[in-house]
Amino acid sequence: MNEIALAPVAVLLAAPLLTALLSAATNHPFVLRALNLGTMTALALSEAVIVGDLSGHGAITTLWGLVYLDGLSAFILLIIIAIGCTASVYSWDYLADHVARGTIAPGRTRLFFCLFHLFLFAMIVATLANSLGVLWVAMEGTTLATAFLISFFRTREGLEAGWKYLILCSVGIALALFGTVLMYYSSVRVLGDVSAALNVTILQQVASQLDPQVLKLAFIFVLVGYGTKIGLAPMHSWVPEAYGEAPAPVVAMLAGVLETVAVYALLRTKSIVDQAVPDYYTGNLLLLLGLLSFVVAALFILIQHDYKRMFAYSSIEHMGIAIAGFGVGGPAGTFGGLFHLLNHALAKSLAFFAAGNIHRRFGTREIQEVHGMASVQPITALAVLIAGLALAGMPPFSMFLSEMLVLSSLATQSFASDTLHLGRFITVIIAHDVRNLAVVLLFLLFAVALFGGFIYRVVLMVWGTAPRDVPSGERWSVSHIPLAVTALALIGLGWAIPEPVKGLMDQAVIVLLGR
Amino acid sequence: MPAFDIGSQLVNLGSALLLLSCFAIVAQRRLSACVDLFALQSVFLAATAALVAFLTGIHHIYAAAGLTILIKAVVIPNILKQVIERLNVNREVDMNVNVPTGLLICGGLVMLAFFITQPIIPLGALLTRDSLAIALAIVLIGFFTMIARNKAVTQIIGFLVMENGLFLGATAAAYGMPLIVELGVFFDVLVGTLIIGLYTHRLQDTFDTVDTSRLTALKE
Repeated sequence: MNEIALAPVAVLLAAPLLTALLSAATNHPFVLRALNLGTMTALALSEAVIVGDLSGHGAITTLWGLVYLDGLSAFILLIIIAIGCTASVYSWDYLADHVARGTIAPGRTRLFFCLFHLFLFAMIVATLANSLGVLWVAMEGTTLATAFLISFFRTREGLEAGWKYLILCSVGIALALFGTVLMYYSSVRVLGDVSAALNVTILQQVASQLDPQVLKLAFIFVLVGYGTKIGLAPMHSWVPEAYGEAPAPVVAMLAGVLETVAVYALLRTKSIVDQAVPDYYTGNLLLLLGLLSFVVAALFILIQHDYKRMFAYSSIEHMGIAIAGFGVGGPAGTFGGLFHLLNHALAKSLAFFAAGNIHRRFGTREIQEVHGMASVQPITALAVLIAGLALAGMPPFSMFLSEMLVLSSLATQSFASDTLHLGRFITVIIAHDVRNLAVVLLFLLFAVALFGGFIYRVVLMVWGTAPRDVPSGERWSVSHIPLAVTALALIGLGWAIPEPVKGLMDQAVIVLLGR
Repeated sequence: MPAFDIGSQLVNLGSALLLLSCFAIVAQRRLSACVDLFALQSVFLAATAALVAFLTGIHHIYAAAGLTILIKAVVIPNILKQVIERLNVNREVDMNVNVPTGLLICGGLVMLAFFITQPIIPLGALLTRDSLAIALAIVLIGFFTMIARNKAVTQIIGFLVMENGLFLGATAAAYGMPLIVELGVFFDVLVGTLIIGLYTHRLQDTFDTVDTSRLTALKE
């Protein structure tokens, strides 16, 4: 057991759970804020310690083998904690404002924070779990914790969105459990009856002996199951509804973090399946679903008239890009996919924080009715503009870089293997070239359409004359800090990735490529 | 081993009874009867699991069987009955697909399940290998029930049937999941049912119906 790692891991698990319990007990806004701030600081510090430990050890197993941490899980943990911090700070004013307006009963802020931290806890458990079974339990836990957060406003639409989310994700996740059962089935055959047969540490050792037939079937179930949670087309129908109706900080967490954790669950399974099955099998499936999501989302963005739903479809699109990156694989595609996950988490949480501000000021979610934000809410307008440009894939934001990485890996995916057969398989090369070219052109075509549709709507909201009944002016407050920090990170990552983060991503790529 | 043979036959019998109760749920029109059938199915499941535990001598399956009786045959049916009583929906089940067609589709799903699992069945433990196909069939039928029925309560039952199929699959394929995972799954199912029950209550208050086909406020 690794003694150094035990303390931060214990803090990671205990802090959100404890805060959830304490939040349920008090309703005093000051105490709640202090609790939030304390937890988030503790989480951030433990993450820093873990990153330090990992650079020395490579991987950590602790808590009697229940917890396993490597570059991949630490990277995902970084995203969870970063967005968790900003969303928690953002929700202070957001909730206070809604209580003042009477849209949320005063006694319900504590319920919000209780569920919020349970949600955080479930996601942290998912990333720390050594066993794929515990990972599944935690993923289902996230569904349960967020069920009431999505319908927190208790409107008709909110209830409907929550119900659809609950049913679709429960069914999806049940299929993922069947996939997990099949994984267990295949590993028990090799190992005999061991309670550790679902542990990542054990599976990595025996992966090459596992039965490929069973693993293929298992991967399909896991892909459909966690794919529902990621919001990949065609299982995406809950996404626009839930993101449209849920409170802004919750959506920031759903879009930025929950999707990322679901991708993590999928990647963890893929990294094991890939060792027994030729890796184009999982790769092609991911590529297919990723590109399908990208295309479907691009088409739906063009007909959106509600900005929250527009951002929701953009989530489906960007998850599609990231998944396509992982599907292509190789160092470039995998690194691009990971980087895209981080960028998407930042840009999307920024977009939804801004959307929360717009909704509270303009009182509508219709793009047509929001004009002149530049004069009404200058700070939020800037945030929307930055998020919009970043999500549309414009430089100098970091999202441009990760999108280019994925795109270039799409273009070059099979060149390396083709040159080997140069003399014999010229026709094959041409076929590959044409296919790659077609994929890239199609990708660019949809990217351009999407870019136009997206920027057009953002511009429509930011400039123009403001409606007369909307009060003008925006004063700097605590709730603007998350927006500023996220926007700066988005710009900063476009210039350089900090060394520790870069190190984590490199380690994660090694984990995923299995060498 | 003749004893093992009889054991294997008995396990198959148990799995078949589970599958049969699935068909009964699809054919049943009254909601409370659906809940009773689900409870009965859970009893079959627990009996099958206990049988596997007895035949293989793996003790933690007993614990799982006991939890199945407690949670899926007693606690959850009681919660569902309370939901039904409170909502006063103890009438007929609304269907998108009528009973004969539904049964026919379920028959097709069973064949599909056997077809999918065909390549991997010979790899399984001798005692329980045919049960894997039945487990997948139960999962698919549960899935179908969720799609084909409109009332919120029947959708919960469909979900629970899926969960039963998964449990049978885990027991059949690999003599049960590790205990910590099984405990987690039970916890999730229990909390999930509670939450869905609460949701049903709110749907009733807000929409004056638990017919989920009336949930049409959110359209593209």
